Amino acid sequence: MTLDFSVLVPYGHMFVQGLLVTVKASLFGLSMGVVIGVLVGALRVVPILPLRALAATYIYVIRGTPLLIQLFLIYFGLPSLGINLPAFVAGIIGIGINSGGYVGEIVRGGIEGVPKGHWEAARVLGLSYGQTMRCIILPQAVRNMLPAFGNEFVTLIKESSLLSTLAITELTMVGQQVRSVTYASFETFLLVGGIYLLLTSVAGGALQLLEKRWQVR
Amino acid sequence: MVAAVEVRGLHKSFGALTVLQGVDLCIGEKEVVSVIGPSGSGKSTLARCICCLEEIQQGEILLHGERVDGGRLRNKAMAHLVGMIFQQFNLWPHLTTLENVCLAPVRVLGLAPEAAQERGAALLERVGLGNKLGARPAQLSGGQQQRVAIARALAMEPRIMLFDEPTSALDPELVGEVLEVMTDLAASGMTMLIITHEMLFAREVSHRVIFMADGNIVEEGTPEALFLNPRMPRTKSFLHRMSAHFGTALVAEEGGRR
Ligand SMILES: Nc1ncnc2c1ncn2[C@@H]1O[C@H](COP(=O)(O)OP(=O)(O)OP(=O)(O)O)[C@@H](O)[C@H]1O
Ligand SMILES: [Mg+2]
Repeated sequence: MTLDFSVLVPYGHMFVQGLLVTVKASLFGLSMGVVIGVLVGALRVVPILPLRALAATYIYVIRGTPLLIQLFLIYFGLPSLGINLPAFVAGIIGIGINSGGYVGEIVRGGIEGVPKGHWEAARVLGLSYGQTMRCIILPQAVRNMLPAFGNEFVTLIKESSLLSTLAITELTMVGQQVRSVTYASFETFLLVGGIYLLLTSVAGGALQLLEKRWQVR
Repeated sequence: MVAAVEVRGLHKSFGALTVLQGVDLCIGEKEVVSVIGPSGSGKSTLARCICCLEEIQQGEILLHGERVDGGRLRNKAMAHLVGMIFQQFNLWPHLTTLENVCLAPVRVLGLAPEAAQERGAALLERVGLGNKLGARPAQLSGGQQQRVAIARALAMEPRIMLFDEPTSALDPELVGEVLEVMTDLAASGMTMLIITHEMLFAREVSHRVIFMADGNIVEEGTPEALFLNPRMPRTKSFLHRMSAHFGTALVAEEGGRR
C-alpha cells in the first residue's frame, strides 16, 4: 500500500481546530485538576480523621473507575438531576475531577517526602499548621512532585481523546470526521497520533525545563 | 522565684513502650543544664516534651510558671517561651538563611518584614554568618547551618533554649564553631538545656549536669561533682565508656576500676 497524506490537506484547518480544542481542554482540565489535587492532597495528610478519610475516598473512587464512565456520568447522568452542561464544560469538569484524584495522590507523596523535622522546627517557632503547609511544606513538595506531575500532564493530554465520545470536536473527533469523508484511515490516524506525540513531547519537555530551573536555584 | 523550667512527674510512652517514667526537673532562670546519658534513655523525648512536640501521658510541665503541656498555650506564647535546636538543623532548604530566620517573626509575631530582616541580619551577624544572608542551606557547611538554626530560634526571643545534640551530625572540625556560639549564648544569660555527648563542653559551660538512663534522672550535680565524683554505678560506667571512646580523661582515674 502507499500512503497519501495529500488527501488530508483540504482538512488542515479542521486538524488545527481540533488541536486547539485538545490543548484548551487539557490546560483547563489540568488547572482544575491541580486545584482539586492540591486540596485533596493536603486534606489527605491533615490531622483530622474525617477530612483525611474523605480525601482518601475521593482518590480511591476516582482512580478505581474509568474516566470514560466519569465523563458519561457528568454529561449523560447529571441531566436527570436537572443539571445540563454543555459538552465542552462537562468534558473539562470530568477531566479536572479525574486528574484531581491523581494529582491529589502526587501531592500527598510530595508532602510526605518533606522531612518531619521541617514540620517540627516550624511548630516550635510558633507557625500554625496552615502557615507551615503554605510557606514551608508545599513549596518543597511542588519540587518533589514535578516529575510525577509531568507524567500526569502527558497522560491527561492523551486521555482527553475520550472527549470525542461526548461529540466534542477535539483532535480525535476531527480524525474520525476526516476519516469518514476521505476513507484515508491510516493517514488520518497516523497524523492524529503524530500530533498527540508532538503535544506530549512539548508538555514533557516544558516540565523538564521547569524542573531544571528549580533545581539550580 | 519561679523556675524557668519545671517538670513534675513526667510520664511519656509510645504505645506500650514507656520512655519517661516520672521525671522531675527544675531549671532556674539563666541556668545552663546539660543532659548526658546512653542512647535511648529518653533525653530527646524529654526535650521534645518540654517544647510540646510530644503529648505527655502524665505529669506537668511549667515554663516560667505557665503550664504548657496539653497544648494549653497558644503558638505565639509558646514560641516566646522556648526555642529548640535539632541534631539535623531542620533548616528549610527552599529559603535563604535570612528568610529562614525572618519567617516566624513575620508570620507569628507580626513583625514588619523590614524590622524582621533587621533583626535577622543582626542575629546572623552574631552567629558569625553576616556574609551569608542570601545563601541557601545547601550551600552552607553543617556548622554554618546549625548556627543559622540557632539564629532562627533566637529571632523569636525565647526565654529558654533547648539543644538536642546540636553537634552530633557535624564533622569534628565544625563542632567548635557551634559550641562557641552556644558558649556566648550561655554567657549572655540564656536559660539552656543541652543534650550532648560533648563531655568537655558540658563540663565547661554547664552549671549543672544531669545523667539520664532508662527514662529516669539517675544522678545530677555540678560538673565537677558528676564528672569527677559520680556516685551511682551507672553514671560511673557510662562516663568510663565515654572517656574510653573519646580518649579524654573525663573522670578521675580511680573512678571506675573498682
Ligand atoms: N516517635 C516515637 N515512636 C516510638 N518510639 C519512640 C519515638 N521516639 C522515641 N522513641 C523511643 O523512645 C526511646 C527514647 O528515645 P529518645 O530519642 O528520647 O532517646 P535519646 O536518649 O535521645 O537517645 P539518643 O542518644 O540515641 O538520641 C527509644 O527507645 C526510642 O526508640
Ligand atoms: Mg536523642
